[in-house]
Amino acid sequence: MALLGIEARGLRKRLGPNQALAGASLDFSAGLLHGIIGPDGAGKTTLLRTLVGLLRSDQGEVIYTQEGRPADFAAVRPFLAYMPQQQSLYPDLSVAEHMDFFRDLYRLPAAVYRSRAEELLRITRLEKFRDRRAGELSGGMYKKLGLICALLQSPAAVLLDEPTNGVDPISRREFWELLYRLADQKILVIIATAYMDEAERCARVHLLDSGKVLASGEPRAVLRDAKVSSFEEIFLNRSDRKEIRPTDTGGTSNTAAAGVPHA
Amino acid sequence: MSLDFSPGRALAIARKEIRHILRDPFTLTLALGLPLVLVVFFGFAIDFDVRGITLVIHDSDKSRISRQFAEIFASSGYFLAVEPAPGSGVLRELDTARASGVLLIKPDFARRLIGGRTAQTQFVLDGADNTRASAILGYLPGILRAARHRLTQDGPAERITLSTRFLYNHELNTRWFVIPGLAVIVMGLLAIMLTALTVAREWENGSMELLLSTPVRPWEIILGKLAPYLILGLIGAVFIYLTARLGFGVPFRGSHLLYFLLCLLFLTASLAQGLLISVATRQQQLAMQLSIITGLLPSLLLSGFVFPIESMPVFFQYFTSILSQKWFMMISRGVFLQGSGALDLARPILGLSVIAGVLLTVAAKRFKKDLEP
Repeated sequence: MALLGIEARGLRKRLGPNQALAGASLDFSAGLLHGIIGPDGAGKTTLLRTLVGLLRSDQGEVIYTQEGRPADFAAVRPFLAYMPQQQSLYPDLSVAEHMDFFRDLYRLPAAVYRSRAEELLRITRLEKFRDRRAGELSGGMYKKLGLICALLQSPAAVLLDEPTNGVDPISRREFWELLYRLADQKILVIIATAYMDEAERCARVHLLDSGKVLASGEPRAVLRDAKVSSFEEIFLNRSDRKEIRPTDTGGTSNTAAAGVPHA
Repeated sequence: MSLDFSPGRALAIARKEIRHILRDPFTLTLALGLPLVLVVFFGFAIDFDVRGITLVIHDSDKSRISRQFAEIFASSGYFLAVEPAPGSGVLRELDTARASGVLLIKPDFARRLIGGRTAQTQFVLDGADNTRASAILGYLPGILRAARHRLTQDGPAERITLSTRFLYNHELNTRWFVIPGLAVIVMGLLAIMLTALTVAREWENGSMELLLSTPVRPWEIILGKLAPYLILGLIGAVFIYLTARLGFGVPFRGSHLLYFLLCLLFLTASLAQGLLISVATRQQQLAMQLSIITGLLPSLLLSGFVFPIESMPVFFQYFTSILSQKWFMMISRGVFLQGSGALDLARPILGLSVIAGVLLTVAAKRFKKDLEP
């Protein structure tokens, strides 16, 4: 599969009373590991869902490129893998049954599937848990199984919505090792996270708050430009300003202030 | 149907669904236990036969012949003779609901009969309950025939007899009539409830979001979810059939192959109705409530199970055609009792096919392919 890039231009999306995306423009250049960093309620999930075609933006557009040339969504869709934030596996099906299910949905040839499945089980270290049901997996293992299901089809882009949320620190580190492997294979990885410390692990970060992009770029460049030493400060400074003028952004300031976790 | 329909993906959905079914004792119990319990329970409870009609006989003649006549009524097996209330008016028994009918024998009954003239009696019925009244009316000619035969043995009347023969159900055994109809109600309700939860569950537990991000198409999900429940529903249908034959002794005069093929068609229509509910509500609780309401009330009242469709207002005679239960009611009773073949049932088969096709198509069209609210 060719190198895949995604560009979002001026995305606006209203969901019920909330302006989930308020003119977000982002460039997810091919082959890199991108982090969408922002507190809860920043619009990360809406953005990812829009990128994989599960939501339609009210305004703006998403442009997909293959080897630098524009491509139709229909053409790239089979190569997009998505891992939702909410639990989305079947608690009564085992690890192996999930893999069989997704093999059939993606119509993978048996030989391709066999080698791919073995590889994924090995690197996620889930080999010994093939027969364990998803409902009985630990938080970290559950997320890894979700990643396996997404990666079975050998995607050109992987979009993950808070994959490390609620996962213990060791499992988180393992998970990031997996993501680096993907980026090494020139797969476009887009990960949404509320953990600020994870921003520095990304090749590119996109800071999102209240549906708007605050900053984009290499992590260190973003910090330098903002004249701060950590990503928390950027969001904290922002929510401080909001508390001075609470009428400015309506109901979003409380979620923004509460959404600065320390892992 | 979508151009890129993949049988493999539909099969994947079906296989997954079978795993869910086998691991969920609730679904299995519902599918296999419920039909048995309902058919046995209601098979015993629902009985349209009217027995033990209370009857008061006012014999003003008090002759040997009039007593004999009264005796014929009392011993017919249909009536339960009760004593007239002392000193009351002739029809007070009806007013006070002590009796459902009153037989009045006039004072000159015996005299007229012996004299070769027409003896008159009057039978007064409580018409408030018209099911009982019409049942009683149905019994009267037979009893009168018996009476005429016994009382005027030498008269010419006995040679002119009217004989009525009921085809298909000689004894007018209501159980034979009720059980094949009950099979329709129970199978339909069960099928609707089985699929009503399936799509809604995927929305509620979040798996739909992941599913929608894969290449799977709505038609593949719909058919993949239909197939396993079709098998389960058919097993339920066999259980119901065995209960009817072995438990209630209902005769089966048609073709078994035809019956079970049409069971599949009816199950498809009902499962599609459940799927449509599930697709439209996306909430398990709401889906369950809707499936019970739409699966039970119309099928009980408008399918012809209790009330004949021919006696409904013209509008309802057409309106009921949107109910799959109406068509399968004709099929079930026809195949069970009349031994109807496929040609006799062409109209109900067509009706059922159209309903199944429409429901499935609407379910697939209404299937949401994104997460838009």
